[in-house]
Amino acid sequence: MITTRVIRLGLIVGFAALVPAVFVLLAGQSPWRVLTTLVLYAFGPQGWSEVLVHAIPLTLIGLGVAFALRAGLFNIGGDGQFIAGTVVSVFFAPYFGGLGLVGLLAFLTCGFIGGAALGALVGYLRERFNASEIIVTIMLNYVAVQMVSYLIRGPMADPMPFWPRSYMIPPDCILPVLVPGTRLHAGLIVALAMVIVFAIIQHRTVFGFQSLVLGANPGAAIYAGFRVKALTVLVMAVSGGLGGLAGAVEVGGLYQRIVDNMGEGFGLAGIAVALIARLEPIAIPFAACLFGIFFAGGGALQRELALPFPLVWIVEATVIFAVAALHWALPDRKAAA
Amino acid sequence: MIPFLEARGLTKAYGQLRANDDVSFSILPGEIVGIVGENGAGKSTLVKMLGGAIEPDSGSIYISGERVTMRSPADATKAGISLVHQHFKLIDSLTVEENLVLGRPELRHGILNFKALRSGFEGVAKDLGTSLQYDARVSTLSVGGRQQIELVRALFHEPRLLILDEPTAVLPPTERERLLCLIRRLKERGMAAILISHKLDDLYDCCDRAVVMRAGRVVGSSDLRSDDRGQLVRLIVGEELPPPEVRRGTRGAPLVSVRELVVRRDNGTVAVDRGSFDLHAGEIIGLCGVEGNGQTELMHALAGMRAIEAGEIVYALGKQTAVKCDAASLRQAGVAHIPEDRLHHAVVPSFTLTMNWFLRKLSERGLVSFGFLQRLSAAKATHEAIAINDVRASGPRARMSDLSGGNQQKFVIGRELGEGVSVILAGHPTRGLDIRTVAVIRNRLVAERARGVAILLLSADLSEVWDLADRVMVMARGKLRGPVPVGETSLAEIGHWMTTP
Repeated sequence: MITTRVIRLGLIVGFAALVPAVFVLLAGQSPWRVLTTLVLYAFGPQGWSEVLVHAIPLTLIGLGVAFALRAGLFNIGGDGQFIAGTVVSVFFAPYFGGLGLVGLLAFLTCGFIGGAALGALVGYLRERFNASEIIVTIMLNYVAVQMVSYLIRGPMADPMPFWPRSYMIPPDCILPVLVPGTRLHAGLIVALAMVIVFAIIQHRTVFGFQSLVLGANPGAAIYAGFRVKALTVLVMAVSGGLGGLAGAVEVGGLYQRIVDNMGEGFGLAGIAVALIARLEPIAIPFAACLFGIFFAGGGALQRELALPFPLVWIVEATVIFAVAALHWALPDRKAAA
Repeated sequence: MIPFLEARGLTKAYGQLRANDDVSFSILPGEIVGIVGENGAGKSTLVKMLGGAIEPDSGSIYISGERVTMRSPADATKAGISLVHQHFKLIDSLTVEENLVLGRPELRHGILNFKALRSGFEGVAKDLGTSLQYDARVSTLSVGGRQQIELVRALFHEPRLLILDEPTAVLPPTERERLLCLIRRLKERGMAAILISHKLDDLYDCCDRAVVMRAGRVVGSSDLRSDDRGQLVRLIVGEELPPPEVRRGTRGAPLVSVRELVVRRDNGTVAVDRGSFDLHAGEIIGLCGVEGNGQTELMHALAGMRAIEAGEIVYALGKQTAVKCDAASLRQAGVAHIPEDRLHHAVVPSFTLTMNWFLRKLSERGLVSFGFLQRLSAAKATHEAIAINDVRASGPRARMSDLSGGNQQKFVIGRELGEGVSVILAGHPTRGLDIRTVAVIRNRLVAERARGVAILLLSADLSEVWDLADRVMVMARGKLRGPVPVGETSLAEIGHWMTTP
């Protein structure tokens, strides 16, 4: 029994290592050199902060995906909710000028509300029309991309439009840099606070308990008398809200405005993060750091070894496959409590 | 006479647990032997060894005096042993004929000559005194109809020993009678049979002898033609059972009034068709019916788990006369519900016992404050409840799926019943449980009735209804008959109502 598990685990790890290696070879590079470059960069003097910078939005989106998935809902709409968060927060940001910390909190809250509205819409469509949340979230991703693309070229465009981008947010809404000389911003605190909040919600509150029951045994949720429809909408709203918060944090911490294609690929990576963390809130920042290494290191690979960035997505897909296969090698997950 | 089958010292262990420990018994040609015992006594393990599904660790099996080794079900078939499983091994989306062919692996190779095979099946069916609808899909058949297919499949090989695992558990009374009749007829032809059953009535109606198992061992054998029931029950449970309490309650005011109730199934068909009845304090109404005639939907509507289409359900609980009919408010108002589908409704198998305790207690003071779960208090309450209700578990942190069915049910009952409960909706509360657990649960229901609780008992076991209920009501194709006092009707009449809407 134990030996078969070890063998299976070995096969999975081997698969996860081999597939990216093959693509690196196809790209004409040595896998070993890629690995050392990646590791040296990630733990190097410039790299570590960049890893964390990328891990911030991935943690927030991953938390949202995990929260929904624990309730049996597949939120694939991280990208769309991220965009909705940037749009709503930046739209209201001019009103928060001169309000100091209150303005910053209001700005972040707007981001959450933007994502939550999109998530709630998905939950509502699912309960009202029995629409698959998987399909609806994916389609809304495209809607969001087109919408923001229009907004930053039109109504919300920069007054001096060199590039397609929005106007700047007031200084009060900017998340301060934590370590001078790096891009590491206070979004890190926001993300870690959310991890703690959601670990508590998931395991200590009635709302979290109800969402866990909904995912583990929907029949028991009906038997217990939970308002399943309202619960579904609420879970999707909270899940989307975290994606939207990631958008606001990214604007406030890095760009100070909406730029074209910001946050591209974060939605999918957020799913991978949630899966690697096995949907456990406390484990999510660590999984996010792993992907932070890929994202930040991907840029380094592009610069130093001339490897194409989509390699990161191949690694991402491999990891999702490997994690999906993990249950084949590991004993059942412990009881949800 | 040489026994057809003799088992000598069969032993099978799963880790520390000896599922079968030195089991020896024999069966003569033409003899019908019942094997009884509580859940987990080792009956299934024994049957699996006799059917070739598992090999014993030690011990041997002799057929007509010759030692045989059975490594697969095919070997058992060759030795003349056929098995009818408790859970039918049929494919719902295929036709009867296709399922019959599937049951004969040796016929699967090459090209099938359905016509030639059909005459073979027809012969067996005729012999059984039944006819099969070969082109009907299995999904459209009743439970009894499905069992007929299994029987034809088992008898096709002309076995000399037929093993039936809990064959009457799911059958309505008329079909049960037919099945027992059939077994007796097969006996006249010299076929031996082993009947695994929880129901002592089955044994007395059709077996010559009962072999009693307890904790993996054969603890005795009882001649059913002479011995009394008390002694057999003592052999099964090992000690005196708590005596059945037959005190009838004193009927009080109606607590639940159902008027012209219409409930639909998920697929839109009418499950409950204008049903009306009153459930009074201090009485048990037994609800009978063949599975799938709307009882489940009625129970779910009463428990607030299913929307009602028309009509009304009025609860008179405490000061209120009508309660908002959703499951959580009903629970809070004192309506306990033991769902018939334990794993899909009553518990979350992947959660710990403590977390399962919360499931229906989220409005209870002390367990939840300001939206936060008080896990320590819940663990303490769970700990007490499993001690009081004799739930065999390692503790409140045990996972629900690690408990046996009987212990899960005791947990559910411990959670549902208690102070402040004035109505109990019980869906098959004793189905599939061993004789001791059944007795404990029945006595609990009777005790609750004595406290003035109104109980609606959905049960497929008519003798249970007769033992416990004050009034009985039948559902057939969505129509309600009754309730009538148990003393003013007969099993025959109830059976008639069940089958003729």
